[in-house]
Amino acid sequence: MITVNGIHVTFGRGTPLEKHALRGVDLTIPEGQFVTVIGSNGAGKSTFLGALAGDVIAESGSIAIDGTDVTRWATPKRASLVARVFQDPMVGSCTALTIEENMALAAARGRKRGLGFALSGDRRRHFRDRIAELGLGLENRLHDRMGLLSGGQRQAVSLLMATLAGSKILLLDEHTAALDPGTAEFVLGLTRRIVQENRLTTLMVTHSMRQALDYGDRTVMLHEGRIVLDVSGEQRAGLDVPHLLALFARQRGGEEIADDSLLIG
Amino acid sequence: MSEIAFFGAVEIGLVYALVALGVYLSFRVLDFPDLTVDGSFPLGAAVCATLLVAGVNPWLASLAAALAGAVAGLVTATLNVRFKILHLLASILTMIALFSVNLRVMGRPNVALLMQDTVLTPFYGLGLPDHMVRPLVVAVVVVAVVLLLARFLGSEFGLAMRATGVNARMARAQGVETDFHIYTGMALSNGLCALAGALFAQTNGFADVTTGIGTIVVGLAAVIVGETVLPARTMLWALVGCVVGSILYRLAVQLALSADVIGLQASDLNLVTAVLVAVALILPRVRLKAGRKTEAAR
Ligand SMILES: Nc1ncnc2c1ncn2[C@@H]1O[C@H](COP(=O)(O)OP(=O)(O)OP(=O)(O)O)[C@@H](O)[C@H]1O
Ligand SMILES: [Mg+2]
Repeated sequence: MITVNGIHVTFGRGTPLEKHALRGVDLTIPEGQFVTVIGSNGAGKSTFLGALAGDVIAESGSIAIDGTDVTRWATPKRASLVARVFQDPMVGSCTALTIEENMALAAARGRKRGLGFALSGDRRRHFRDRIAELGLGLENRLHDRMGLLSGGQRQAVSLLMATLAGSKILLLDEHTAALDPGTAEFVLGLTRRIVQENRLTTLMVTHSMRQALDYGDRTVMLHEGRIVLDVSGEQRAGLDVPHLLALFARQRGGEEIADDSLLIG
Repeated sequence: MSEIAFFGAVEIGLVYALVALGVYLSFRVLDFPDLTVDGSFPLGAAVCATLLVAGVNPWLASLAAALAGAVAGLVTATLNVRFKILHLLASILTMIALFSVNLRVMGRPNVALLMQDTVLTPFYGLGLPDHMVRPLVVAVVVVAVVLLLARFLGSEFGLAMRATGVNARMARAQGVETDFHIYTGMALSNGLCALAGALFAQTNGFADVTTGIGTIVVGLAAVIVGETVLPARTMLWALVGCVVGSILYRLAVQLALSADVIGLQASDLNLVTAVLVAVALILPRVRLKAGRKTEAAR
């Protein structure tokens, strides 16, 4: 369960480049809900996910995860509650470390790290079993450096890593954007499976209207730092991509959507 | 090369192996280019020598030296992490400050250790000639440090430290307090360099404020030589590589100095080292470029 109350984020306050990226976002997401997030470039989607994860601290408003107020918590502290997969496969993993080292790192998320061995026989076996579930044949490559994997393989492993330690919420920021359509499809299928199996409260940012409607239970649209559309249930089930675009246009007071990025999919 | 010169080179290589391990921690593990080393090495020597003259137990004096180095590392880390000063500049500031500190610690530019007991004293006169005892004792310390360090870097805490250097953003998302790991790593790194300084003072019988000049470059040279001759797949081998690199580097230097044809003097050492490190840094680029050209030509 996530409760966001009127959060504001401003970058570069007091400089000529000042940017009011989030302008009062309110959102309540019940336990286990899978929300897709859309919006044009610069709408504030990544900033919103960053605010949930702790990368950016909201200057006003509040954020609670599972009833705990985390508004002032920095990223490492929130990590016990939040799992993430980034858009860039390079950002979400340590390319210079091996696959099993990356997994060990993720398995200790949110827990105190002591002087015990990061990789024991038991853990290795556990990681091997888990990575075998992906069906990518990576179980024999645990000693390979993460950097040797393809983008798709790395995103699949990143998703798996997000589930190695318990978490309350899963944040996915365009995690298939860097992948070819076939691989993106595979990773999305995997996402759906993992979210269902672990009953994770999930936010997934996507530029594809198709994906936004096909996956999850609810869709919100951000525009200029505000939530301008929030659909779920019957209303959402009856929507198709042209409808969604029309809804968005109405929300904006009939303003034309000039942004091509919004039309993909 | 005479037998004595050979053992001398191995001995100094082993002492500087500790510097190489420290430099490996900062430059490679934390990705923190740290020049504090040029100050923490003589700091270790100064603290140790001063305490020895005051009659302190040699092992305690060496430990105190390492702790002093750790504090120097913490100063640099604080300037960088807390006050956002660029790491290179932060470390130069500490290094310069340490020059004055070292003079204060000793009260004069150098201290001779003539009659004082050192960590080596109990091992002299056990049958082996002195020039073999020294490298042996230092070797025991180095082996212990390598094993402890490998164990540390293989722990959950150590893995988090490595992740901090490779990808801090990812590490933080995994709950790693990256700042804390930078503090710890920098303290450890400079602690090792100061311990090297302490051993240097005890094996050579003096501490001098100027011995620090170029320490960082020597350490880097050892790391690079080690990586070249022993491309490692595991943490332990990477650390062993630092030690091997440091010894090989010293042997090469000794060989160059003893070959009269080249006409090198001991004072040319820093120039030779700088050239060697520069070449080692340039070579991979040249190879990369050459590779691209041949690919383009296809
Ligand atoms: N660190 C930052 N410093 C300054 N401005 C920033 C920063 N991060 C984001 N912004 C600005 O805030 C606004 C929102 O950016 P954000 O990355 O959240 O958009 P987005 O919806 O994720 O866009 P995209 O679809 O392109 O990923 C943009 O105008 C962006 O330029
Ligand atoms: Mg974005």
